[in-house]
Amino acid sequence: MRVLTALSLALLLLSAALSAAAGEISLKTTPGSVQIGALYDGETLHVEGTAPAGSEVVLRFQGAAKDQHMKQKGRALGLLWMNLGSLSFEAVPGVYLVTASKPLADLGPAARPFTLEGMRETFKVEPVEADTPENRAEFVKLKAAEGLYRETPEGVILGVDQGAERTFQADIRLPSRLAPGVYALEAVALKDGQVAAQGQARVEARLIGAPSLLADMAFGHAALYGVLATVIAILAGLGIGLVFQSKGAH
Amino acid sequence: MTIPLHLYLPIAGNSVNVAAIFGLGGAVGLLSGIFGVGGGFLMTPLLIMMGIPPTVAAASDSNQIVGASTSGTLAHFRLGNVDFKMGILLLVGGVIGGTLGVQVIKVLRALGNADFLINITYVLMLGFVGGYMFLESLQALRKNKTTAASSQESKPRKPSCYARFIQGLPWQMEFQRSGIRLSVLMPLVLGGLVGVLAAIMGVGGGFIMVPVMVYLLRMPMHVVVGTSLFQILFTCINVTIMQSIENHTVDFVLALILLIGSSLGAQIGAKIGKRLHGDQLKILLATLVLVVMVKMLWGLLAHPDVLLAYTGGH
Repeated sequence: MRVLTALSLALLLLSAALSAAAGEISLKTTPGSVQIGALYDGETLHVEGTAPAGSEVVLRFQGAAKDQHMKQKGRALGLLWMNLGSLSFEAVPGVYLVTASKPLADLGPAARPFTLEGMRETFKVEPVEADTPENRAEFVKLKAAEGLYRETPEGVILGVDQGAERTFQADIRLPSRLAPGVYALEAVALKDGQVAAQGQARVEARLIGAPSLLADMAFGHAALYGVLATVIAILAGLGIGLVFQSKGAH
Repeated sequence: MTIPLHLYLPIAGNSVNVAAIFGLGGAVGLLSGIFGVGGGFLMTPLLIMMGIPPTVAAASDSNQIVGASTSGTLAHFRLGNVDFKMGILLLVGGVIGGTLGVQVIKVLRALGNADFLINITYVLMLGFVGGYMFLESLQALRKNKTTAASSQESKPRKPSCYARFIQGLPWQMEFQRSGIRLSVLMPLVLGGLVGVLAAIMGVGGGFIMVPVMVYLLRMPMHVVVGTSLFQILFTCINVTIMQSIENHTVDFVLALILLIGSSLGAQIGAKIGKRLHGDQLKILLATLVLVVMVKMLWGLLAHPDVLLAYTGGH
């Protein structure tokens, strides 16, 4: 009987916890999708939403996950730095941008999975012997140097509490090296060290105009693309050569 | 009103500063026009530094070299500096050697220490070629100052074993443009050897081919430059089409901006080259090769910022 009561109590507590965690954050992004045209050079994604009153907000933009095959540098003959072993980082996000209303370190353990340090523990590294904390850290360092992984402290601006809610907004600068694909913008409200509410929005980045035409051709009609690239290069070289010839003739 | 400074490259997956890419193309094209080298050994690392993925940088560079070498070959052809017969023979040798080299690199990769061998070969090759050319040209320049005799006149002084050996080979042929008589085997075999090395090192091979033409085929420097460009044109056409089909790594927009810059540079380079003496050309190329060698050596000795690298590229 006691066991049954304890189980019922546990279930009750669990359902209460789940309903609290299921609190929804409303999210709106401007623009709703990213159009990568010929003149694309990064874009600022404006985010607005509402979170529970008194909470801090963490925003994470990530996506276009893929396997990354790399070489590990090491010292050959104890002297020369060279690419030695091969290793793969599996299903790593192409882009990982995170920001919050406070420095992430000040938001406690609940915010840790969102930090770059927390994120680097989530992916798989092959072969197993290459799966070292150093390699994981180096990978995140490389991506950060390329502007693809970034942790911005205090990038989220909170509004004042209005009843049970408060508004928030942020401007997230998307990198110029953005691959087409589907990205997820997630918002997490943290209160008293716990996740109080969550929300997610889908942001699609797609090629338009000339980049779209070229990519379709390069991947869909590779042989024709290669031949055209060669022919146009030859014609451009000849054209410039002839321009110089006519100049020389005068 | 404003001219867009950035363009998004769909294959590279990044946006680039058009002026910077154009300037880079112009500078490398200038060197290509002066010295008859493709410039891949300079261009690809610089593109990687600008944020282009290594595989895309190498393949797109080959695409732009097609344009630059067309322009350079045309300029040198008008100046009478292209030995087509020699170029075609070297090319045939190069294609055979390149195919062999690809197999060699597969075996080396299977053995597991390919990168080590490639890097060591690269540095030694650059050091040897650059050092030898530098010293030889320096001596020739000094001699010119003291005796006022041309370097061509001083050459027949040493009828070496090598000269007797190449004269003794079968199938001798006249190469009128170069003003030499050689066995057909010479360009075929040497072209093949350069092809093997180029394939192993992942470069076009211009900076090895030029010294081979000068010192082993004994062609005049100005004809060497034009003929080298003619041969590079075909090598890079092959690489561009193969990379497009197999790896989808040719970014045509990037190549086009580079090649407009480099074709202009190559034209100016050919005119500068014409004004320079053969030995001056050699000593400048030797200096360039040595600078690249020192840069590579530094890259091998200095602690890298990040201990990971992307696969692919030169």
